[in-house]
Amino acid sequence: MSGGDLLHVVTNDDISKGRRAFGRALIWGSGALMLLVGLAQWAQLEGISSFGFPNWRPTLYAYCLWATCLCWGQVLINGEQGKRTLFVLPAALFVISLTVFPLLFGMVIAFSNWNLSNPDGRQFNGLDNVRQMLADPFYWNAMGNMVWYCAAILVEYAIAFALALALNAEIRARKFFRVAFLLPLMLSPVAVSWMIGKSMLVIQPAGPIIRLMRTLGWENPSFYSSPWMAKLTIMMMDAWTYIPFMMIMILAGLQSIPKELNEAAKVDGANPWRAFWEVTFPLMLPVSITAILIRIIFKLKLADIVIAVTSGGPGGATDTVTSFIFREYRDRSNVGYGTLLAMVYLVIIIIAMTALMKLAERYARPRT
Amino acid sequence: MKEGLYQYANSKALTRRRLLQGATALGGFAAMGGLSALPARAQEDLRAQLLAIPGVGNGSPTEADWQKVGELCLGATKTNVAEGEFAGVELTFFGINNNGLHNILFRGLLKGWETYTGAKINWIDLAQADYNPRLQQSIATGTVDFDILAMGAPLEGDTAGQGLLDEMPDWVKTQIDMDDYVSYLKAPVGTWAGKTYRITIDGDCHTFAYRKDYFGDGAISGMAEAPTTWQQVQTVSQAVAGQTDPLTGSPAYGYLDPLKGWGGFGFYFLEDRASAYAKHPDDPAWLFDADTMKPRVNNPAWVQAIQDVMDTMAVLPPDQINADPGTTGFQQFLAGTGSMLCWWGDIGSNARTSDTSVVGDVIGFSINPGSDKVYNSKTSAWETPATPNFAPNMAFLGWGVYVTNRVSADEVKRKAAWSAAAHLGGKDLSLWMAAYPSGFQPYRNSHFMYDEWAAAGYDKDFVADYLGSNADSYNHPNAAIEPRIPGIFQYYSVAEDELAKGYAGTYASAQETADAIAAAWEKITDQIGRDSQIALYKASLGL
Amino acid sequence: MTQVFHDAPVDRAFRPEWHTSRLVVYAVLLIWAVICLFPIYWTLTTSFKIAPNVMKGDMIPWVDYQPKWLGWRALGLSPDTIFTESTVRAEFFKRFTNSVIVSVVSSCLAVILGSLAAYGLSRFSFKFLWMRNSDISFFFLSQLILPPVVLALPFLVLYKELALLDTRVGLILLYTLSVLPIVIWIMRDQFSSIPTELEEAALVDGLSIWGAFATIILPIALPGMAAAFILSLVLTWNEYFFAALLTSTYSNTLPVMVASQTGSQGISWWSMAALSFAAILPLIIIGIFLERFIIKGMAAGAVK
Repeated sequence: MSGGDLLHVVTNDDISKGRRAFGRALIWGSGALMLLVGLAQWAQLEGISSFGFPNWRPTLYAYCLWATCLCWGQVLINGEQGKRTLFVLPAALFVISLTVFPLLFGMVIAFSNWNLSNPDGRQFNGLDNVRQMLADPFYWNAMGNMVWYCAAILVEYAIAFALALALNAEIRARKFFRVAFLLPLMLSPVAVSWMIGKSMLVIQPAGPIIRLMRTLGWENPSFYSSPWMAKLTIMMMDAWTYIPFMMIMILAGLQSIPKELNEAAKVDGANPWRAFWEVTFPLMLPVSITAILIRIIFKLKLADIVIAVTSGGPGGATDTVTSFIFREYRDRSNVGYGTLLAMVYLVIIIIAMTALMKLAERYARPRT
Repeated sequence: MKEGLYQYANSKALTRRRLLQGATALGGFAAMGGLSALPARAQEDLRAQLLAIPGVGNGSPTEADWQKVGELCLGATKTNVAEGEFAGVELTFFGINNNGLHNILFRGLLKGWETYTGAKINWIDLAQADYNPRLQQSIATGTVDFDILAMGAPLEGDTAGQGLLDEMPDWVKTQIDMDDYVSYLKAPVGTWAGKTYRITIDGDCHTFAYRKDYFGDGAISGMAEAPTTWQQVQTVSQAVAGQTDPLTGSPAYGYLDPLKGWGGFGFYFLEDRASAYAKHPDDPAWLFDADTMKPRVNNPAWVQAIQDVMDTMAVLPPDQINADPGTTGFQQFLAGTGSMLCWWGDIGSNARTSDTSVVGDVIGFSINPGSDKVYNSKTSAWETPATPNFAPNMAFLGWGVYVTNRVSADEVKRKAAWSAAAHLGGKDLSLWMAAYPSGFQPYRNSHFMYDEWAAAGYDKDFVADYLGSNADSYNHPNAAIEPRIPGIFQYYSVAEDELAKGYAGTYASAQETADAIAAAWEKITDQIGRDSQIALYKASLGL
Repeated sequence: MTQVFHDAPVDRAFRPEWHTSRLVVYAVLLIWAVICLFPIYWTLTTSFKIAPNVMKGDMIPWVDYQPKWLGWRALGLSPDTIFTESTVRAEFFKRFTNSVIVSVVSSCLAVILGSLAAYGLSRFSFKFLWMRNSDISFFFLSQLILPPVVLALPFLVLYKELALLDTRVGLILLYTLSVLPIVIWIMRDQFSSIPTELEEAALVDGLSIWGAFATIILPIALPGMAAAFILSLVLTWNEYFFAALLTSTYSNTLPVMVASQTGSQGISWWSMAALSFAAILPLIIIGIFLERFIIKGMAAGAVK
């Protein structure tokens, strides 16, 4: 994408000075208005003077006006170039406006001692939270679990690939199978946790899976008692929900492989196994990497199921970072510390994801 | 609890005829016909009439029944509020949706009240797990957006302690007849710094349930009577290990300790054991030192309780490390695994009535076991009283309805909010809630008139046996009352986590586990503010 | 549909290994279909059970147990309660409506904003401060990584100040934010698989860039947008954390109601199952009818 636009168009904008000036005026004028309203609200907050604002909505409206003017102004000032900016600008403004304040405020909270039950509210406590985090074995334990959870993605990927291949094969009732395979993705994690995680796996001796296991010769099936079994069970439930996601991406990829390629391989006398590794798999590499990356991101947020089913037990074996923070946050109302943990987690995964994506970009380049 | 009890009465296969006889005798026959046409009657008639909605043996009450009950109980409201007096008033009610009861039930019960007064109620229903954090967030960020609040007494520290509540007007006290409350629910519970805030709608305590067939001549425990002290409980647990359950034929087990947490509620089950050791009759405090907020959880009494659990862990069912109180109660005890258990009222009624319960005919109840010795924190020494020390655990103290200070400035709104709350906490309405599936337990002395229950079609012996243990606990002079300090569930939650680690062997001993809890509690106290906690703790103890 | 398969003459010829591989494929498909469908079946059948059926683990209605309306009655949706006044049903439909409005509107918003941004990013090179296209893409993507707990309290405060608490608008904004990255990701792949010559031709013909986008590119990218839309819909429909945090009376959604079926009184499996099923039904229907769009949409950008 570097080295200029992909779309080469010569535009000869003829923008009059007046139009430019009007555009600038629009942007600065609305900006000033927003500032004015904001100041007025702040003044009211500080008790300097009262304008009768019930809340910060006026500033919000002023901001919206400014954002609109900014977009419009782009076109006025920069013409064609501005129209191009207009593609990205709204989304960017939207994201920035909704994340900047929460993130900044989040930073403030992260370095505070704030237990919601404390009648005195929030107090800065410098690096205390960081020190506490470094000494918190359970946070790092949860981090370690995340590595395992992410490693499970490889297995999920293999299953998803196999299913996609099966779906892509020449089969009857393809529509039925595709719909059936897709459905788990649609279900709400809350419902999944209760109806599968509890109803099917916990109710002794009636849970269908418990009974199945017993028929298969496992005498006392219990899915959450030993650390590894519990971790595996959580992995499987999560996999159940998200395998369809990877599957459809891979299936989509498979369907876009030109038929001739496989036929050519066939003509060459390659057996299906070799044809797969030499033709299909390399072609599927880019989409596979995208699928795995997105999956990793979803996996890093895994929490709903853990919270509802095991609350991290036994002994923290199933804790994900998010579920751990969630407990700190919800059960202990320890907002300051919890937010710090979340911030640190955010930084760690941003670094990890950047590295992964850079790596992936190198590998994902089609080799043909 | 009432679901189970109610089903039990149903399962007694009352014939329609017998039911009608009972109902007619009390003048409730008309209840079967048009209720709205009824003229005002004496209060006893009203109560009998209420208990006939829908009538034992006629299936679970439906929403139409809730509305009917609500309408019948409007009498008290009508004396204090004129028709249409609150027209145009909108109130917001904050509570939980507990299995389709609680807020859902209140909607039905308040329907008639809304029609009569002209007020409209908006509802905030939360999942139980979200309730506390949501409340805390509302308080901390100043986003209290509700006027009426259904809340457990342990949270009074978080709300009343921070000046969030509106003081109860005197007319309400009369309307709901507060003197009728069982003794532990009277002040200081429901009050803060001498002001009354709470309309009680529920009572809560743990009672001891045991299997009668484990005791008696030739029984496997080798004891003639069910244990009354924890020392005896320990003996029984060890004695029955390796034997066969007389009822199910599977391995026999003693007392069932839940070793896994339950969102903070699991700690109540350690309290069951500890209160007998730690709650000295001369000292209202038993979780913290009232003067310093120093945790007592690592004193010899509590360590003894933890040690007791650890001592019998080896003779618990396999996989117990993964059993939370829901498991020990519903999936073990009721299914015939284990012989002794402390739990809320639910378990008692379910034992007799649930289809999955196999222990119905062999179950007995009493107040929580006591202890031969009791620890005196003042002298730091064990004492051996002449009779065992009993200290029933009033776990959670029950739900109440509160009014927030959002309405304090607006007299009409304030009166409307209190009127709605008083309607729910009304004396007659509460009888119906106590007798039918509602999620609430009896909490008034007038709920323990077993004849009323019998007339409604319940089995009197059963009601007396089972409710009796509740009543005895409620009125016990040495009841272990929960501290109503801010963040109390944070303390429980962290204790639960540390206990789970202790049971899993992360810590070397009971003492170390207890020390870890104490350290975590000290941290929480410091974080919330020690001085204010001390003050609030003393206030909650009525000191 | 083009998917309908016709056996090639070669394949129809009898070949033992071909048959074995067929067998394996069908076995895999069937087993996985059971794995996928059984929990849904279980949820549906559980909603017609009563306590003893649940504890015994009865599987097949009319064979193992007699279906009862208990679970649906609790929602006011059983035959005998459907025509009576029911506050629960009213609550259910209120939340259902909210869920529909919030998830559809936020998904639409996300698809519109996201498609535009993705198109821009795939066609032009931008420079904002130090950020180039790939950085901007990553900036969008990083929003997806954000753990929701980071934002919880700040959002509570922000929304309080803006009077957006317990409003659908507030929830819509937040949900749009949370699905925007995934939309941008999908759509970027979509657009980069469409050859630029198409627009170039259109531009030469005198269309503006927006005109070219609307008339040439959009129709081609429509399946991709449908896929992105459906995915957003799924994610927003099921969102629980912020729904529980930011709503109270007027704008609350279904997942919170599902979670409320548990509590200290044990679990009413039947009503939980009924609610769960009612909550997932719309998505199941969408899955059945719009499934082809999802795969088609994902396909375009998959292999470059």
